[in-house]
Amino acid sequence: MNGNIKKVNDFVKELAHLVLMLGLGLPFSAYAYTGVTIVLSAQTQANQEFIDTFKAELANNKNNNLKVKVLALHETEKLVVAENSELVIALGVKALEASAKLKFTTPVLGVFTPMPTFNSLLVKAKRDLGNFGAIVLDQPFWRQIFLMRSILPEAKKIGVLLGPTSSQFADAIKEEGEESGFSVMEENVFREPDLIPKLKDVLETSDVLMAVPDPMIYNRETAQPILLTSYRHQKPVIGYSQSYVRAGALAAVYSSSKQLARQAAEIALKSQQSPSLLPPPQAPKYFSISVNYQVARSLNIKLKSDEEIYQSVLEADEAEAKEHEEFRH
Amino acid sequence: MINIRYATLLALLMICYNPVVLAETAWPLQLASESLSEEDYIGEVPKVLTVSRLSQSLTDAPSAVTVIDRETIRASGAVDIPELFRLVPGMYVGVNAGYVYNTNHAVSYHGMNTAYPGNMQVLINGRSVYTPLFGGVKWSELPIALMDIERIEITRGPNAASYGANAFAATVNILTSTPSETPANTVLATHGNGRNEAFYRHAGKTGDLAYRVTTGYRQDGGLDDRNDFKRTRFANAQADYQLNLNNNFEFEFGLAEGARGEGNAQEDNIVFLQRTKQMNNYYGMARWKHQLSETSDFQLQAYHSHDRSDDETTSVNLRPLIALISPILAASLVSDSIYVNNEVITERTDVEAQHIFGLGANIRVVWGAGVRQDTTYAPHYLGNKKTDKFDLQRLFGHIEWRPHALWTVNTGAMLEHNDFTGTDISPRASLNFKPHPNHALRFGMSSALRTPNYVEEKFDQKYAIATTLLVPRLVLQQVLADKGNVNPEQIISKELGYVGKLGGVQLDARIFSDEITDVIRFNERTDFTVPADVLLVNPTNVDTGLNSGSAKVEGLELQTNWKIGARTSLLLNHSHIRIRETHFGLERNFTKSMPVNTSSAMLTHDFKNGWDASLAYYQSSETTQLGDGDPVGLTRRCDVRVAHQFNSGSWKGEISGVVENLFNEHYEEFADYNTLDRRGRINLRLDF
Repeated sequence: MNGNIKKVNDFVKELAHLVLMLGLGLPFSAYAYTGVTIVLSAQTQANQEFIDTFKAELANNKNNNLKVKVLALHETEKLVVAENSELVIALGVKALEASAKLKFTTPVLGVFTPMPTFNSLLVKAKRDLGNFGAIVLDQPFWRQIFLMRSILPEAKKIGVLLGPTSSQFADAIKEEGEESGFSVMEENVFREPDLIPKLKDVLETSDVLMAVPDPMIYNRETAQPILLTSYRHQKPVIGYSQSYVRAGALAAVYSSSKQLARQAAEIALKSQQSPSLLPPPQAPKYFSISVNYQVARSLNIKLKSDEEIYQSVLEADEAEAKEHEEFRH
Repeated sequence: MINIRYATLLALLMICYNPVVLAETAWPLQLASESLSEEDYIGEVPKVLTVSRLSQSLTDAPSAVTVIDRETIRASGAVDIPELFRLVPGMYVGVNAGYVYNTNHAVSYHGMNTAYPGNMQVLINGRSVYTPLFGGVKWSELPIALMDIERIEITRGPNAASYGANAFAATVNILTSTPSETPANTVLATHGNGRNEAFYRHAGKTGDLAYRVTTGYRQDGGLDDRNDFKRTRFANAQADYQLNLNNNFEFEFGLAEGARGEGNAQEDNIVFLQRTKQMNNYYGMARWKHQLSETSDFQLQAYHSHDRSDDETTSVNLRPLIALISPILAASLVSDSIYVNNEVITERTDVEAQHIFGLGANIRVVWGAGVRQDTTYAPHYLGNKKTDKFDLQRLFGHIEWRPHALWTVNTGAMLEHNDFTGTDISPRASLNFKPHPNHALRFGMSSALRTPNYVEEKFDQKYAIATTLLVPRLVLQQVLADKGNVNPEQIISKELGYVGKLGGVQLDARIFSDEITDVIRFNERTDFTVPADVLLVNPTNVDTGLNSGSAKVEGLELQTNWKIGARTSLLLNHSHIRIRETHFGLERNFTKSMPVNTSSAMLTHDFKNGWDASLAYYQSSETTQLGDGDPVGLTRRCDVRVAHQFNSGSWKGEISGVVENLFNEHYEEFADYNTLDRRGRINLRLDF
C-alpha cells in the first residue's frame, strides 16, 4: 500500500474520531446495551442460520447476559426496539434501512449489506460511524486474487468488468492484482447492450475473469450469457458467491451466514460497554472458498483439494490482513 | 482494500457536510448503489454450466474432436457451412452441382462418398438434419445463417454410443449462440461473384424470455456455365425461457423456401433437363431442461421437421431414341415424351429424453432413450404414391469414469431398433492417460452402424411409357429396383490419439484403423423380371442396394493450432489416409474415394487499429468419388480475407473482402463437371 493511502487512512481515522468525540452537533449519549435485537429483511434460511449461530456464539461466552430478540420486518408495522439498551443487528438492506431510522443513539450493525449501499445509507440517514456500523458483504479483493494465484498458477492476466457501481474499485483491484503479480485488464460497461461485447473483449485478452459485484453486470439474467461466453472462451470465472460457483464459476470466496454471525457476535460482545464506539464498517473476517470441480475438469484445470486451496488463501490473507492492520495503528 | 474503503467513506462524509458537492457528485453514486442489495451478492442464480452442458475436456474425451469456433468461421471468409469442413483433417469437401436432388456440397469423412454421403450424423443444436431419402445434408436449404453459429464440433470417428446409427464415420454438431449472447440488431450484407446475400437479426429480452429472430435472403449463382443457381429466403427464431432456477425451456423455429436451378446435360440429357424447382421446409423444436440436483440434469426434447421439393420435368422426344431399338415401337408410343413428377416430401419427428448424473466425484453417467419417425413421400423414387414410414427407437448410455487422476475411462453403448435393419447394438470404449495436464494419450475402440437409406433399401425408380400395341404395352427403363433387406454397414474403429499443448502449440494427432464390413453398394440386380408384355430397355443394368465387400481405412490425422505471439495464429491440418479392400466386392472406385493426402492451413494476423487478415490454403490429392463422382486431380486453393472492424459510438461493425482461389487455379471437385475458379466478395456487417 502506498503512502498516500496511508495518509488518507490516518486522516479518516482522525476525522472519524472528531465526528464521534465532538459529535459535530449531533447529541448522543451512550448506555451499555443489555440485549440484541436482530431485524430481518425477510425470513430466509441464511438469516435463520445467522440467528442460530449468533445465539450459540453468545452462549459460548460465559461472561455475557445479552438477550437476543428477533423482529421480522414484514411482521411489524413499525420497528419497536428498546432504543437505549439494545444493539440492533440488521440483516439485509431493507432491515438496515428501517433500522437507520431509529434514534441516533441506538447502535446499529448492518450485516448482509453491500458496502456501497451501506455508504449511501450512512449519508442518507445522517448517521455517524460510531453507532452505525456494518459487516459488509464485500470480500477484500485480495482474497479473490489469492484464490486465483492458488488455483491458476499459470495465469498472468485478470479480466475485470466494471459497471456504474463497481467502477470506483478499479484502482484498488489493479493495485491488489499487481501486488500478486497479475496484470489487470478492465473494461467498463455502462450500458447493458455493451455487456457481452465487452465481456468478449476482456476474455480475449485475459486468462481468468474476476467477478466484482455490480447489479448491472452480474445479475440473475446475465449469469447465463456471462458464464456461457466465458466457458466458450475456455476461461474460468472467479465469483463472489457460492451460488455463482454452483451456476458455473470455477471458484469463489464468500462468507457463510455462520461466519458472519460469529464476527457479529464478537462485535456485540466487544462493544457492549461502549456502544457508541462500534468498529468501523469492516469486511468479513472469516471466509470460505467454494470450488466447482466439474467445471475445472471441463476446462482441463487440475485443482488441489479445496482444503489445500483454502489453507493457501488463508495464509496469504492473514499476512495481508496483518500488513493492513499495521497501517491502521 | 480497507484503505480504499476509508477513502470512499471519507468522500461520503465530506459530501454529507457539503451540500454543493452532494448535488454534483453524490447522486450518480447513490443511484447506482441504491439498487444494490444483498441479493446481488448472495442471491441464487440459475445453474448455467450444468453437468449436461459441460463438455468433456478434449483430453478426457473418448474421440478426436475438431472445434470450429466463431473466430475461425469469421477468419475463413466462408459463406457456406460445408466450406468450413475443409479445415477438418480427414474430411473431403467437394462442390457439386449435381443434376437431380442436389446437396450442392459433397462432404464426407474418410471417403466412401457419393453426392449424398450417409456416413455422417449432422445435428443443429441436437436436431438431426441428414435426409432419410439419400443420406447427406442439403446444406443450402438449412434455415440458418452462418453469423448465428457459435461453434461447430466435429467428432472424428464413430460416435454411435452418443448419437446413434449414422454417427458412423463422424458427427457434426452445429451449435448456434444463445439469444442472450447476441447483439440487439445486426445487418449483414455480402456482394460478390455469383453471390448476393443479406441478413437481419434482432435479439431481445422480455422478462425471463430471451429471443432472437434472424431472416435472410441468399442468392447463389452457382458454378459458371451451369444451371445450379439457388435463391433462398429463410427465417428462424430461437427463444430461451428461464421459468425458475431449475427449469429452462428452449424453443426454435425455422423455415426456408426458394428456387433451385437443376439439370446437367453432360449427365442426363434425356429426362432431368435444365429446369427450376422449388423447395420449402420448416421445423420446430422444444427442449425442457430440468435440474434435478447439483449433479443431475434431465432433458426432454422434441422436434419436427418438414421438407418438400417439387421437381417436374418432361423428357426430350423419346421416339428417335426408341427408333434405334425399333421404328415400329417408336411410332406406337402414346406420347413423344414422359413427364416425371419428382415431388419429395420428407418429415421427421423425434422425441428424446436424457438424464445426466454424477456418481461421486469421479463418475459421470448419461443415459437416455428416443423415438423417431421419418416419413417419405417420393412417388418417382419409391414407385408409389404412398407415404412410407420409418420408425426408430433407441436406448443409449455412456459412463465417464476417472479411477485415478491420470486415467479416464469412457464406455458406452447404443441399442437401436429400426424398421429397416431390426435391432443392433453399437458399443465403444476408450482409455485416456494424462501424465500431465497438457499431455494426454487416448486408446479407443468404437463401433457404429450405418442404416441403409431409402435409395439403398426401398427405391423403385423407373421411367415408363405406354404404347398402342398389345405387346409390349409398356416400354420401361428401370433405374433402381432395391431388393430390400440390406444389412447395416458396420464400422469398428481403433485409434491411438494424442492431445497436448507444447508451448503455444495445441496439437491433436491420431493414427487409426477402421474396419468396415457389409459395405452397402449398388450392384446389378440379376433376378429382376418384368411381365411378358413389358419391354425392359436395360435388362442388364437394373441396380439394387446390397452388402458387398469389406474395407480397411487406415491413416493418420494431425491438427495443430499455433499461437504465434498475441496477434498471430496458424492452423495446420493434415491427413494421410489409405483405403484397402479386405474382402472382395467393393464398388470400383471405393479405394480412391478419399484423397490420400489432404492439407489445410490458415494464418490469421491482427494488425492493430481494427485491421486483421487471414490467408488460407487447401490442398487435396487426386480422388474418385463414388456415385456420380469422376476422377478429379490434385486441387490447390488459396483464399485471402482482409477485414476492418470499426466502432463509432452506437454503430459497430466490420467491412471485409474475401478472394477465394486467389491464383485462379482451374480445378475440379467431386466430378469433372464442377470447375472452380477465382471469386471475390465484399461483406458489410453492422451491429447496433
